[in-house]
Amino acid sequence: MSIATPEKTALKLGFVPLLDCAPLVIAREKGFFATEGLNVVLSRESNWANIRDKVSFGLLDGAQMLSPMPLAATLGLGSRPTPMVTGLALSMNGNAVTLSAELYRALSPQLRDRPNPAEVGNALKQWISTLRTKPVFATVYPYSCQHYQLRYWLTASGINPDTDVTLIAVPPTQMISTMHDRMIDGYCAGEPWNSLAQQCGEGTVALTGYQIWPDSIEKVFGVTQHWADAHPNTHEALIRALVNACEWLSHNDNHAEALELLRLPPYLDQSAIPLGQSDTVLPIMQSFFGPGVNCPSLSHAHLMLEQMERWGQWHGGDRDQIARQVYRHDIYSKALGLERFSQHA
Amino acid sequence: MKDSRSLDVLIIDDEPTRADALFDALNALGHKVVCHLSDSHRLCDQVSELSPDMVIIDMDSPNRDTLESMAAMSRSNPRPIVFFAEKADDSESISAAISAGVSAYVADGLQTDRVKAIMDTAIAQFDAFHSLRTELEKTKSQLSERKVVEKAKGMLMKHQGCDEEQAYKTLRKLAMDRSQKLVEVAQSVIDILELTTLPNAGKR
Repeated sequence: MSIATPEKTALKLGFVPLLDCAPLVIAREKGFFATEGLNVVLSRESNWANIRDKVSFGLLDGAQMLSPMPLAATLGLGSRPTPMVTGLALSMNGNAVTLSAELYRALSPQLRDRPNPAEVGNALKQWISTLRTKPVFATVYPYSCQHYQLRYWLTASGINPDTDVTLIAVPPTQMISTMHDRMIDGYCAGEPWNSLAQQCGEGTVALTGYQIWPDSIEKVFGVTQHWADAHPNTHEALIRALVNACEWLSHNDNHAEALELLRLPPYLDQSAIPLGQSDTVLPIMQSFFGPGVNCPSLSHAHLMLEQMERWGQWHGGDRDQIARQVYRHDIYSKALGLERFSQHA
Repeated sequence: MKDSRSLDVLIIDDEPTRADALFDALNALGHKVVCHLSDSHRLCDQVSELSPDMVIIDMDSPNRDTLESMAAMSRSNPRPIVFFAEKADDSESISAAISAGVSAYVADGLQTDRVKAIMDTAIAQFDAFHSLRTELEKTKSQLSERKVVEKAKGMLMKHQGCDEEQAYKTLRKLAMDRSQKLVEVAQSVIDILELTTLPNAGKR
């Protein structure tokens, strides 16, 4: 297979220091970008809004994004509309709902060992009905799977997320201390913030995103439509390099080395060091590679658009057209030379 | 009724020097300014209580996502705030703001020219602070860079059992592979070696 020359080789990509930035770090440190002839600098960003703005305004070529982000940016939810696309999903699953140790203790008489989400939800609903004040739940970002999963689970448990609880936003790095200060009773966040809360005894992982939506795309690699149109070969080369990194990450033998690289100062903070020692009993099931993991699936885009509409973030419109415009499995297939099969996708 | 030109502005910035300078500059323009210096989780409450016309925030503050969430949920709040770039029609000043590292959230319906005047002041203050700090850091780092590289070299020599020249070459190669400065690589080497050799006594 002949590989077309990349239009641009010096690139700057953004990431947020969470465990699932691993594909970008590994692609750089293990030379997968270099193999594709790309010279990539990684820029650590301290919030998701920066990722969106810097990609929108061309300060970054592309970035690790929350899977609803390219859709929200295209629709102009919370920002000026900037058409974005993704040709690659970077990770699946990885979120969990953590309840404060105190709240979990209060619920535990009604819970058996390893309760399922419905049982935890029922116990919480009963607990709320005996209270005068509403419990406070936190998420990180409004256009995120974490936010939608929390709302989805509460609703399924007969708890109205807008009236029966108070929803607030807290940065992930402050979740555990905020819970320690008793300002919140629970949160839905990505790893390592659930395992860490459990390790330090502040909270209990009560259910996982995997139990709510099994095998749900969590992070994607996003660029603007404009950038993708101007740099098709570079885009494909980036996707190949990142898929190779995802595959590398899927081998158990490489995990120790991956953590060693992630701990390097430009990437994750020291606080992320205990990660990889997660001893939660529930299945967080974070994965980077495998059947159906990396292809940006239209059904996931549909699910995200449905959630945006359901929770009043979006007034609604032609979901299928938007899903196809943003989630580009054709770019994914072309980058990996899978076009022959993609007609059946 | 308050002066129609005066706005309530909340500044969220962990750099006290910069926050103070911006505070003074906006005060001088006749605005009522409140600074929020700590990354406290009470931010949501504070924004609701103060109900500012405009929030100016350091782009690198993790609390930006908190404000984005408030903006997304503010449909039901008495005073909705929106991301500055959502309304501004002039992408040049948004780019200038992003490059300066400042972003803002404004009460929906605020006149854009009044917002823009405040934004321009904030951008100028952030830029001024940036060049001042760069200048300072340059002077300071020239002094300390040599020390850091020397220390990394020493640790590498001990860890790898190599001579000084080899240790220096290793650092140079790492720096080139990662497109980082020599001193940055030296610092990571120190951080890693200190971690891996924690139980050993006699580090220095």
